[in-house]
Amino acid sequence: MGIIALERASGLYWLGRYNERVYTTLREFFVGYDRMIDESEDSYRELCNMLDIPDVYGSKMEFINRYPFDENNVDSIISNMTRAYDNAMVMRDVIGTETISYVEMALSAIRKAKNTQAPLLELQEVIDYILAFWGYVDDSIDDRGIRSIIKAGRRVERLDLYLRFERPASMLEREFAKLKSRIKLTGLSYDESVIDYLDRAISENKINYSEAVLKLENILKL
Amino acid sequence: MNHLFDNSDAVNKLLERYGVKFGIYKNGEFKEQLFPFDSIPRVIAKEEFDYLEKGLIQRVTALNRFLADIYGEKKIVKDGVIPEEFIFSSSGYMAECEGTMPPKAIYSHISGIDLVQAKDKTWYVLEDNLRVPSGASYPMIARDLCRRASPSTFHDIPIADNRNYAELLKEVMDYVNTGGINVILTPGRYNAAYFEHSFLAEKTHSVLATGQELVVENDYLYYTGCNNEKQKVGAVYRRISDDYLDPMNFCADSVIGVPHLYSVFKKGNVALLNAPGNGVADDKGIYYFVPKMIEYYLNEKSILNNAPTYLPFYEEDRKYVLDNFDNLVIKDVAEAGGYGVVFGKDLKGQKKEDFINLVKKEPRRFIAQEVIDFIDIDIMENGERVPRKADLRAFVLTGQEVKVWKSGLTRFSRNPDSFVVNSSQGGGFKDTWVLLR
Repeated sequence: MGIIALERASGLYWLGRYNERVYTTLREFFVGYDRMIDESEDSYRELCNMLDIPDVYGSKMEFINRYPFDENNVDSIISNMTRAYDNAMVMRDVIGTETISYVEMALSAIRKAKNTQAPLLELQEVIDYILAFWGYVDDSIDDRGIRSIIKAGRRVERLDLYLRFERPASMLEREFAKLKSRIKLTGLSYDESVIDYLDRAISENKINYSEAVLKLENILKL
Repeated sequence: MNHLFDNSDAVNKLLERYGVKFGIYKNGEFKEQLFPFDSIPRVIAKEEFDYLEKGLIQRVTALNRFLADIYGEKKIVKDGVIPEEFIFSSSGYMAECEGTMPPKAIYSHISGIDLVQAKDKTWYVLEDNLRVPSGASYPMIARDLCRRASPSTFHDIPIADNRNYAELLKEVMDYVNTGGINVILTPGRYNAAYFEHSFLAEKTHSVLATGQELVVENDYLYYTGCNNEKQKVGAVYRRISDDYLDPMNFCADSVIGVPHLYSVFKKGNVALLNAPGNGVADDKGIYYFVPKMIEYYLNEKSILNNAPTYLPFYEEDRKYVLDNFDNLVIKDVAEAGGYGVVFGKDLKGQKKEDFINLVKKEPRRFIAQEVIDFIDIDIMENGERVPRKADLRAFVLTGQEVKVWKSGLTRFSRNPDSFVVNSSQGGGFKDTWVLLR
């Protein structure tokens, strides 16, 4: 890898994190939405708690309408997709116009879905574009260091969200193994004590979820 | 060819997908806008382009000689060809550049020359842009998509391939490079032309950097990595205006420049494309003197015409401007991007009187030009062909040789009553085809 400035490494890392955040929260939203059809008015609160976002919605319908699409809410899915786009835009010379185009299309797809009759069906396109983005990252970015920084962002975010969702150790183990092998390939300095901590906690199934999230957030020195 | 026009929407959709946008500030808020593309091209015949090419090379060669002279011996002033008021009062003149010779003695590496074609087919130069002219990336990417939309058109018609712009640019960067990597220096994500900065960095395999990522040490410029490693920089295609380039030498408030960059340049340890101080040569007031410049430096008659221009600075011209005010277009020399342009016929009453008084009070600030009724080019609007005003920005690249890119940015007005084609004022763009035979 040629040398890469700190701000750019950080941009690549957050590009990976925001793409993953949209992907996983959107999938979680689909599951939660399905459950809400049969459950009580305030069942959406459980999903807010799980996603660790403030309940600014007041009703199930408000949550369904605003959580994916509200550009004025920093926690909404579209706000996270916009952040992914902002980070992608400044990396054109590193990851290429074609790769960026999948992020651009994912953002456009959310905007278009908002005004359709069945937004949840249309939001599937967002998932598709994000997966295409990852495919293109693998297919077109030859530089392993660059690729690994973006993918380390993805792995950190996935594990972070799974910890927040208090997923069982078996699920965490799989995600942690991917992160552990990926982070070494980034060429960036990272906190090995966090790796040791997570290794121990997950393998021994003694997970303090909130403590693990805090530690994971500081794994990379960016 | 109809296939190409029928697929205009699909091409625009792909341009959106690839982020072909420009930024604009409206009410203090940054917005990204698509740059509307119209697939009916401007077509330039081979003989016509040969003529333009000769004229553009001549013009840019003279402008480069002028810049070397102005920041050196100033013979053109001493010989009375250009009054010194037009040099030293120009907002583009930079006293700090006195005595500095850029690597390979090239000042304007990338020149954007704005032209229009009158209804009698005569081409006129409207403006020289020698600081940071933008726009080449748009037709470059549009061509790629048009070829996909209608391969047979490009198979059947002998059109020069314009997708080599990045190669030409890289050639120039490599030629003036003093040893090290090539960098494109951008003010950042919220600049109007950010798409172009990042796209050209990708296509020229340069590093796209902001000022914060570059550092001067021991008279050399370095790009700094996240583990504090450093890589020497040999050429900087800077997309930051002179004033903000270096807070130690120019505007002290700049947070987007690189401290001491100009000192490195002055010592010949890095090339800056384009060189600082070029604004003195693309000042609208200096434009009037370009044909004289060509005669003075090259001993040749100017091949390309200037639009008939008057300088209120000269008494005789001032009288003409005031007598013929309604027939002229008056331009503020300090403005750009279609701003500061007033058509005399549009001013009435007190407004007209105030403006005339301003011209009388600050004659150096304005130029006046005959309104050239330039040709319309068709665009597609709601499925119909309608005529609109269009100009052409030709790109001239100066490295080991002076080369004219066989294409250009054709901008058009979307308003049927307007001559203003700038993207910031709602204009769109077209591809420019140069025929090979």
